[in-house]
Amino acid sequence: MKKAIIKLNRSILLGVSSFILSISCVQASSDIHKLYEDNCASCHGSDHGGYLAPALNSETLKGRSPTALRTLIMTGSFETLMPPFFGRLGDKDIRSLVKHLQSTPKLDNPPWTIEDMKASLKVYVKDESKLPAKPTYQIDSMDDLIGVAARGKYGRGSGSKAVFINSKTHKIVGEIETGTAAHIIDFDPANERWAYVKTDTAEIFKVDLYSMKAVRSIKTGYNGPGMGVSRDGKYVMAGSFVPHNAVILNANLEPLKVIELEGVDPDGKMVSSDSGMIIGTPYADIFAIALENAGQVWVVDLKEGFPITKIKNVGRHLHDAFLTHKGQKLMIASYDDSVVIAIDLKDRKIIKKLKAGCVPHVGGGAAVKIDGRTLGFGTNFGTCENNTVVSVWDLDKMELVKQIPVSGGTESPAAHANAPYVAVDIITKDRRARTIQLIDKKSFKVVKTLDVGGHAYFPEYSADGKFLYVSAGYAGDEVVVYDSHSLKKVASVQMESPAGIFSRGRVKYMTRGLSPDEME
Amino acid sequence: MKELLTSTVILVILTAASTAQAASIYAGKSTAAAVCSQCHGIRGTSADAPFPPLAGRDEEYLEMALKQYRDKTRVSDIMNNIAGSLTDRDINNIASYYSRLKIR
Repeated sequence: MKKAIIKLNRSILLGVSSFILSISCVQASSDIHKLYEDNCASCHGSDHGGYLAPALNSETLKGRSPTALRTLIMTGSFETLMPPFFGRLGDKDIRSLVKHLQSTPKLDNPPWTIEDMKASLKVYVKDESKLPAKPTYQIDSMDDLIGVAARGKYGRGSGSKAVFINSKTHKIVGEIETGTAAHIIDFDPANERWAYVKTDTAEIFKVDLYSMKAVRSIKTGYNGPGMGVSRDGKYVMAGSFVPHNAVILNANLEPLKVIELEGVDPDGKMVSSDSGMIIGTPYADIFAIALENAGQVWVVDLKEGFPITKIKNVGRHLHDAFLTHKGQKLMIASYDDSVVIAIDLKDRKIIKKLKAGCVPHVGGGAAVKIDGRTLGFGTNFGTCENNTVVSVWDLDKMELVKQIPVSGGTESPAAHANAPYVAVDIITKDRRARTIQLIDKKSFKVVKTLDVGGHAYFPEYSADGKFLYVSAGYAGDEVVVYDSHSLKKVASVQMESPAGIFSRGRVKYMTRGLSPDEME
Repeated sequence: MKELLTSTVILVILTAASTAQAASIYAGKSTAAAVCSQCHGIRGTSADAPFPPLAGRDEEYLEMALKQYRDKTRVSDIMNNIAGSLTDRDINNIASYYSRLKIR
């Protein structure tokens, strides 16, 4: 009997202790996941599958030295956005993070439903009718606004914001704190007072540009930059990398419909897909969305039920695109087969696939009228036979005109009808990353290389074409402004890790480089 | 004659300047960009960063601190390692560059 009690006691003890152990394990692993979410996930993906930065999971980190990984986390990685976590995370946390990353497989997509979205809606300004009727700062035209997505050193924190600059005075007129890295800024084409800012953790902020205040925000997913605004300003669409869905919102950021992104890819495989670019067009009441992995472009009609037309077999790994021909044609880049595909948004069909460049990343795109022809300028991440080029093609005929040699890989072109040069950012990870190159519109030759400092990227012209803005990102921490003709530096605007630059002028000329006076 | 005089004067000034500081500030800029700025920024650090900004700091102080970190008379895991890779000349250049920068 005594023995039995002892046995019983022992098993209770065992049971209790294993219960406690399992609790503390669960506790520890949820703590560590929170640590990951709070410090790493905005760039590396909430599913450990990678996003702007590499995937961190048991597969990708197999065989890597834990000491080397710890050092990398402490010191950060030069020439990338990876910041040093020394002093921010303790040694114990860094050690357990490394252990966690090397033992966690890529997770299934965590769900983020329409209910989650609705619950995340925050209203900062209850009565919008009390907002000022005109800008509360000096500005000639709202088109002069330039928005810069400042990432903040750690991809989050007080340095993460959308910074708005008057591009005539080069002074900051407003800042919207976004909590995590701002990525995309879209302006309402129908009402100049509104802009939308999307972060890397998929929150959208609706911004009143007159008072420079966020009026609402909503979390549309875990990660993903895709966002577009409809031509009438009534709808916003957002797409995510994690989870694989997109959502149509009204202008009050209330979610109306969630769309799961999946389809058969060009190789016949059914895949669940990241959301690539989303674009509204002045041509019609539609959104176009690229399904990165499924290689499809979907056209969503903005009417009852939001019906979708699916254009299949567009390309392998679609990412970004730009509009031409009054917004009726879409030029979309396909990384893995190095083609630019022209899509007719009227017939909803592929017009032509053009071999252009290597791993094309057209960014916001550029379309330039030269001697009666309208030419697209496409930047390329990749190297073609030892050569890095900017691809130029005839947008009407969809024929390649020229591959212009540049000094490295590029990811974003800027052009303006009133500026003589097309600017491209060199992203090759050495000293060249500090530079942008200027291509003369007439000679198709690089005529100047500017050392901007930091990691120079995302050039953008002011709406009048007089100034060229460039982000000196990473450790540069400033936006540098040049005179677009003399290419002399005229100003510098300080902020933490600036990235994408978005002129409000874009809503007028649709695609950079086209005339602001007549929609073409 | 006047032109010759002017250019001589300019030449003298330039030479004087370069022996005193100019070359080292330039070298300091590239060392700072490659070694220090990742944590300490150029004109300032992130508001969320635990690292002190270096821009506009006293030149002699910067030099002394870096040398102490290098000699390990001042202890910091990270700074002992990083400063350990710097020569006297690097340290002079960096101190000279950062001390002359305006703070953000």
